[in-house]
Amino acid sequence: MRFLDYLSLSLRSLRRSRMRSLLTIFAIVIGATGITVMLTFVTTVKNLTVASFVKTGQIEQIQIAQATDLRYDPTGMSVQSGGGSLSGDGSTSSTTQLTSALETKISKVPHVVSVAAVLRSRSPAISNIRFKGKDWVVQSVLGYEPTGALTPAVIAGRDLKAEDSGNQLLISKNYADVLGFSGKYESAIGVHITLHTMEGYTGAGANLPTRLPPMHQCAQNQRKCFGGPTSGLPAIDIPATIVGVLDNSENGDQPLIMMPLGAYIDIYNQSQPANVQFAPQNNQQGSGNNGGNNGGNNGNQQPSGPGVVVGGWSRPSVTTFIANQGGFDSFMAKADDVTHVAEVASAIARFGVGTSTGLKALNDQKAQANIIGLVLGGLGLIALLIASLGVMNTMIMSVLQRTREIGVMRALGARRKTIRRIFTIEATAIGFFGGLIGVIFGSIFVLVAKPIITNMAKSGSLTGATFTVPPWLMLAVIAGTSGIGFLSGFFPARRASNLDPVEALRYE
Amino acid sequence: MAEGDNQMDGIKLSQVTRTYTLGSEEFNALNKVDLQIPNGDFVAITGPSGSGKSTLANIIGGLDKPTSGKVLVNGQDLSNLKDAELSSFRNKTIGFVFQSFNLKGDSTALENVMLPLIFAGISPKERRVRALECLDRVGLADRAGHLPNQLSGGQRQRVAVARAIANKPTVILADEPTGNLDSSRGEEVIEMLTQLNRDGITLLVITHDKDVAKHAHRRIEVRDGLVHEKGL
Repeated sequence: MRFLDYLSLSLRSLRRSRMRSLLTIFAIVIGATGITVMLTFVTTVKNLTVASFVKTGQIEQIQIAQATDLRYDPTGMSVQSGGGSLSGDGSTSSTTQLTSALETKISKVPHVVSVAAVLRSRSPAISNIRFKGKDWVVQSVLGYEPTGALTPAVIAGRDLKAEDSGNQLLISKNYADVLGFSGKYESAIGVHITLHTMEGYTGAGANLPTRLPPMHQCAQNQRKCFGGPTSGLPAIDIPATIVGVLDNSENGDQPLIMMPLGAYIDIYNQSQPANVQFAPQNNQQGSGNNGGNNGGNNGNQQPSGPGVVVGGWSRPSVTTFIANQGGFDSFMAKADDVTHVAEVASAIARFGVGTSTGLKALNDQKAQANIIGLVLGGLGLIALLIASLGVMNTMIMSVLQRTREIGVMRALGARRKTIRRIFTIEATAIGFFGGLIGVIFGSIFVLVAKPIITNMAKSGSLTGATFTVPPWLMLAVIAGTSGIGFLSGFFPARRASNLDPVEALRYE
Repeated sequence: MAEGDNQMDGIKLSQVTRTYTLGSEEFNALNKVDLQIPNGDFVAITGPSGSGKSTLANIIGGLDKPTSGKVLVNGQDLSNLKDAELSSFRNKTIGFVFQSFNLKGDSTALENVMLPLIFAGISPKERRVRALECLDRVGLADRAGHLPNQLSGGQRQRVAVARAIANKPTVILADEPTGNLDSSRGEEVIEMLTQLNRDGITLLVITHDKDVAKHAHRRIEVRDGLVHEKGL
């Protein structure tokens, strides 16, 4: 007997009990639609994640820090020297400091194409962003070498370039929002803003007089004021240009400014007066508090009068400045190919530093998406299993109703196998049509939801989101529901085929 | 059993017993029955309800197997056949006609007649031609596309007869073929079966109806599991 003959006999009996068949199929449709939509969503999220990692080059990045429990952070914002990753779980930190010498060593590791050193602000040298007469508080400033190793996700404009020696900035999306560029980030590009420093600022651009103005009395941790002998110096405005808008969602959308490492060091490596002489009653001498220390918190009484800088001003060398910071906060290395990432990471780890790769972060994220997929898919599967009970019930009813017909078919020469196949194919067909309609319904749902999802993706850094049901999922759902139909029909079909033809013919 | 018996044409039952178990009780629906029906014979099987005549027909038709004894149809020993072989035997050798027609309600007359041809694995094209021939033979070629519920009782039984002869069987087993028909329709059906018998098919008709039985060449009565030859 040919398959088409089986199919024709099976479909005919499905048609005969149209309402019952439709209801049974509909139960499968519900499960199949659910699975299609949920797994499409998870797959889309996964694909977008991969696309984003590939697009930003993060997939080839190896982050290096003084921590063994480093959590990959594409901006380096959450990684600091000494203390390791801010999200660390307290496991042993490595003690190798991130120095320029180490950076050179890393750059010579095979398959490393570039390395970028990252420094993260601790001292509040820059107090505010000033734009059109308004101020916004600055929280984190990050300096990095625009070597191409660290590639922050920009949603408008561009990443920093090696030739950006001046005060070119990347600002995070939330800054762009408050500056009035919400939703039109491109128009923020090229805009000039001002970085307004603390009072007492002695970094690049500051006027360093011989005679210091009277000190400000600064309460502990008071913003805008360093305290110490230079605290009377006025705040200055450093002009800067926005070249890119950052997506900082990886760090919980914390406000962030990124600038070239050179500019960063110019601003943060502040000059110190070598010898300050105060009025006679408060003859405190010293090297003065440098900018990194909020003055007035050491218990000494503050000299209030103006001081005279006797020994001139000096500025720590870049190496000293970095050493004072405890080394660079992190390095970002870039491998020539994703296949070399693990190899490069372990080679670098041998220098006694912690490494974390974008690839691992991507795999972690994919694993998370898979778990979500499993949970959501599991819900759909439960719906399908319940529906499969419906299929089984329908098939048992069908066998009962058609007992006599089974007897007749046996009398006319149908083998047990023939009867079993007719019923199995019937149950499989229920599953198949349920899956097919489910996939169609799911695709329609996805089509309707597409603009919403695309919008959501666009508000992040992910443009051109592709929220469509993947063909493999369509096939898998249809195959899965057909399989469930087949299994549900197995026992009823066996029961049908085992009927004694004499008894079956006598059945009323 | 001698070699010659095995090759004998027709139906031969030797010492056939069919025992049923009802609860803890056993009873013999057929008790050591010996019977020979040569090819081309027309036999009416009569007997009261529960006498074992249906069991006899089922065993000859390969729907049931004897508990003991031997059933030979055209030299083929049915008691040794497996399900697939027995199904093939029913499909090719036996044509069944039932009291209540037993047509598939969702299929047209033509499709009903094609059913045994599907089981025989005959190509769609050929089965269609053959089914139409059979319908033509029972005078229903013009009703080929009708569903059973669009046909009269007599017409339905004629479709059933067409279905029975579709695979060119050598034996037709008709169980009360006129039981659900009025006398004139019944007469038509018997006339048709008789014609088939004249064409060479062995015809076994189970019936209570004396008018039907009188068409037969031979009448056997089953009573208490035993077969008695009755004069006409």
